[in-house]
Amino acid sequence: MISMRHVEKRYTPGEAALADVNLDIENGEFVFLVGHSGSGKSTFIRLLQRELLPTEGQIVVAGQDIVRLKNWKVPYLRRNIGCVFQDFKLLPNKTAYENVAFALEVIGRSRHVIRTQVPEVLRLVGLEDKMDSYPDELSGGEQQRVSIARAFVNRPPILLADEPTGNLDPATSLGIMSLFNRINKTGTTVLVATHDREMVDSMRKRVIALENGRVIRDQSRGVYGYGD
Amino acid sequence: MAINVGYFLRESVTNFRRNWVMSLGAVTTIYLSLLLVGVSMIAGFVISEIVKSVEDKVSIQVFLKDGAATEDVEELQGWLLRDDLVETVNYVSKDEALERFKEEMAGSPDIVESIRENPLPASLDVTLIDPRTVEEMVSRIKSNETFLKVCDRPDDPEESLKYGQQIVSRLFAFTRVVRMIGAVFVGMLAMVSLIFINNTIRLAIYARRKEIGIMRLVGASNWFIRGPFLLEGVMQSLIGAALAILTVVGLQMAVLPRLREALPFLPVDVPPATMLQLAAVLVAAGVIIGLIGAGFALRRYLKV
Repeated sequence: MISMRHVEKRYTPGEAALADVNLDIENGEFVFLVGHSGSGKSTFIRLLQRELLPTEGQIVVAGQDIVRLKNWKVPYLRRNIGCVFQDFKLLPNKTAYENVAFALEVIGRSRHVIRTQVPEVLRLVGLEDKMDSYPDELSGGEQQRVSIARAFVNRPPILLADEPTGNLDPATSLGIMSLFNRINKTGTTVLVATHDREMVDSMRKRVIALENGRVIRDQSRGVYGYGD
Repeated sequence: MAINVGYFLRESVTNFRRNWVMSLGAVTTIYLSLLLVGVSMIAGFVISEIVKSVEDKVSIQVFLKDGAATEDVEELQGWLLRDDLVETVNYVSKDEALERFKEEMAGSPDIVESIRENPLPASLDVTLIDPRTVEEMVSRIKSNETFLKVCDRPDDPEESLKYGQQIVSRLFAFTRVVRMIGAVFVGMLAMVSLIFINNTIRLAIYARRKEIGIMRLVGASNWFIRGPFLLEGVMQSLIGAALAILTVVGLQMAVLPRLREALPFLPVDVPPATMLQLAAVLVAAGVIIGLIGAGFALRRYLKV
């Protein structure tokens, strides 16, 4: 589903944000990407979204060489990748329902599809009672659920999450993680970048650890690690 | 993929309302520039109609002396008709000339009544295929020997010819100057409207940067993101164009009848077909300005 070969990204000529990354993520896997701030996690995620192009190397996502992908085809790539962020990125003047519907509306889905899929995905994330609430009427955890619903409503084969629990307390984070787990069970490949140690240790999933832009550890059923 | 026209319209109307001061500025400048285009087009049309009618009247009158030999006159007429610059030659007798004079002077009966004896000469009225060749033709006539024999004033042949070259060339020069000044003004106003549209679209993009970010995130196609902004630019210029068309029609209804009254001998009419053509030109120009202005802004401020 995702494959990287000798991927390198340099923002300035001297230092590499990512260097010589080689890895494969299979269809349906659940992967944690861990590391300190500045270790290259966000660069990794943005490369997969094709927000950025690598300085060197090859990236294949969902069967497409995204380094060679034509600019006008990028939107169609992104329809295959759901994205969740630390700051939720919800539109404040739209309700939970409208925020999720917006994602379908702007890729030209019909009204009929919107009316059936939006309530369904909101039920999946447990917000069927809060469909008409605005983001500022929802708690942080509920807002993150709306943003997950928006990322998943189009049933993409890949879900990327960049620090999805960074703003949430541990109990709420647990709920979000079990939601990712449920989504992963439907066959979706899930990649979560985080530095939430307890979460990673309790889930026992594949862990890819980055430090100074290099992969220093890649183990299945791993833990957060780091000498302590 | 079905493009949601309703969505585009809703978005652009919202943008328009959000930045209504800027939008009003854009609409006003477009309105002014298109109005100028419209007025100068109408003026150009009326002037060229007038020029045409004057051209129709540009003929060379060859005055003949009383008692000129008929065969000489006929020979001159035949020679004129054979010339490749000439379209028609018309003989006007002394009596006909007097009749015409009386008709023209119908407004002042004193003069008409004071005429006892016919003072007017007979003449040959020569019309030309191309009015611009008047001077060439005049010099040809002057060097014709039969003309010298039959002309009204053999001592000064120049005086036996009457033609209206000056009027035509002055009108031509005048329309050229008017057109040039108009083009410069229209160009400047078009620039200003482009800048205004560019700015309104920039503000609209800034106001909606969050939505745009999310649209890119979930994979809205580039044209779907650009659509509402392009439509907003086009809407602003269409409103400007509509106002300009209304004003031109209003002006035409207010001014032309008075002009017709003041200049009864000139054809100052604008047929509906010409007005329709004018409206089409203004709408097309508006759409082009709107698209270019919005396009500039999108290139500079919207990275998709």
